[in-house]
Amino acid sequence: MRTGVIQESYGELISLFRNPTQIYWTWALVIASLAAPLVLSPHVTSLVNGMMIAAVGVIGLNLLTGTTGLISFGQAGFLAVGGYTAAILAADYGMPLWVCLPAGGLMAAAFGLLVGIPSLRLKGLYLAITTLAFTIIITHIILSAESITHGSSGVSTPKPALFGFEFATDKSFYYLILAILTLAVFGSVNIKRSRIGRAFLAIREQDIAARAMGVPVARYKLYAFVVSSFYAGVAGALMAYHIRFVNVDSFSLVISIEAVSMIIVGGLGSTAGALIGVVFVLGLAEILNYVFSSLGGSMGSMSALELKGFIYGLTIVVFLRLEPDGLMGIYREYKNRWVNWPFRY
Amino acid sequence: MDYFILLSVSGIAIGVIYGLIGMGYALIFKATSVVNFAQGEVMMLISYMSFTIASTWTLPFWGLLGVCVVLSAVVGLIIERVFIRPMLGQDVFSTVMVTIGIAVMIRAVVVMVWGADPLVLPTDIGDSAVEFGLVVLYTAQIYAIGLLAVCVIGMWAFLRFSRMGVAMRATAARETTALLMGINVTHVYALAWAIAAVISGLAGVLLGTIYGLGPDLWTQGLRAFPAVILGGLDSVFGAAISGIFIGLLENLSEGYIGRGLKEISGFLVILVVLMIRPYGLFGTPEIERV
Repeated sequence: MRTGVIQESYGELISLFRNPTQIYWTWALVIASLAAPLVLSPHVTSLVNGMMIAAVGVIGLNLLTGTTGLISFGQAGFLAVGGYTAAILAADYGMPLWVCLPAGGLMAAAFGLLVGIPSLRLKGLYLAITTLAFTIIITHIILSAESITHGSSGVSTPKPALFGFEFATDKSFYYLILAILTLAVFGSVNIKRSRIGRAFLAIREQDIAARAMGVPVARYKLYAFVVSSFYAGVAGALMAYHIRFVNVDSFSLVISIEAVSMIIVGGLGSTAGALIGVVFVLGLAEILNYVFSSLGGSMGSMSALELKGFIYGLTIVVFLRLEPDGLMGIYREYKNRWVNWPFRY
Repeated sequence: MDYFILLSVSGIAIGVIYGLIGMGYALIFKATSVVNFAQGEVMMLISYMSFTIASTWTLPFWGLLGVCVVLSAVVGLIIERVFIRPMLGQDVFSTVMVTIGIAVMIRAVVVMVWGADPLVLPTDIGDSAVEFGLVVLYTAQIYAIGLLAVCVIGMWAFLRFSRMGVAMRATAARETTALLMGINVTHVYALAWAIAAVISGLAGVLLGTIYGLGPDLWTQGLRAFPAVILGGLDSVFGAAISGIFIGLLENLSEGYIGRGLKEISGFLVILVVLMIRPYGLFGTPEIERV
């Protein structure tokens, strides 16, 4: 009798779906997400849009930090580059959406290459500090290059439109973001099961050993940076269209930390984990928001914001302390127990 | 020339604060190889606590400083015991993220308790200033320079002569060997956190006296970061010296090259230093090639 899913060939090991059940669930997810805007209220739709945009960026960060093991606090910087590129192209040069989105991604990828170069020599904390410095520097460059970026007054983005069709409502925009998120997920999952993804994993586990096994470490580290910042750039461009306005305040260092905390909460290195992490962190924030606004009165809006910050910090600490593998780790553990019962493993 | 002297002196005055905060970063990194991203927040917490103390009792400045030393040692020990010690054995990245979590929490707590409005720290040295020719310095700024000197000499003596200081250096050199030699490594870690909190607490009280208190005080911790990298992450004295250098550089680049450079010149230095000499000017080189 087969107990559990057993991979018997290399093809099965790297295939996209392990078993038919996964395919059914994926279809269920696709149908549910296609039908979602029909049921959800406009407010929730807008919220979900925000989550999906964050998810695009976080999936990219997960490839860099989770899969390749290069810690980056540069997410906010890459988002800013992508967002500003798209907003400026759309607002000042009248470029259409299908130019602005990839342009945002490519511009961010170019910056990713630039930031990636120090990563060839630096590891761990030192790299984290470099990317932190990058985020701070990029914000100040945006503020001071007023002739291009309009400085602190920000840029207003026109309504997104694709080949004459205007995404006027959050509902129509939802489908555009869903399409891009689907592409992002497919890209990430496929990178991870290919030669490149295995090289990333080898570098994460032990880069000297990876080098000894013939993985060109320098090249793959740069790949990781470029791919991840491309994702972040596209997410930034979508953010610009979603909020319809970009300003350096939307890309503060806190965003970088939030992104890293999302992949930790979800589970490092797993694409599904990145998605779950985004939903958990942003969902928690939204629920707290709701609770505090309905409590009202004695809880001023100010202290609600602060309490949210507190709980958010606490979430990071609690997850790292109690469940370093994140929500995906919890899921795997319970699934294994369920599948193998009554045996331990 | 006068302009240059004015810029340099005010640069040194803020650089001294960076130096103090930087010493805290470096000490924790040296002992535990963790970068404490909550250093600026700990500093902010202590300086708000000192506000409460100073407005409840009328203490002379030195008395206030003394109380804050005790308080910040307690804060450092609590943070170490509650958040950091359970992370022993986990990888460094997790512990660093925990310090970021602590940072977010402290920021929130400070605003919840003391509000978001700027406050003035009531001390008896307040606005008093001393004039040297064309340069005018607040008394607190002069105290800051003196305190940095005291801290540097004190730390040197501590690490050089005291039993615990030698134990700390041994732990920094190789944790496992130190453990085998009978050093209580967890005590060393706790002590490092306490001392780092005390040093940054001093910086916090001085900053509060000079510039007042606000919920964005923690950014000074971030601004002190370049000092630690330049000095070498594990060099306590390097951080003190490079703090002054970074303060000078910030002011001079702002004054002579262009607006806005004050905020980023330090971080530009970080990029250059990390590319050329990742271990900084005074740090221990760590050689590993791939």
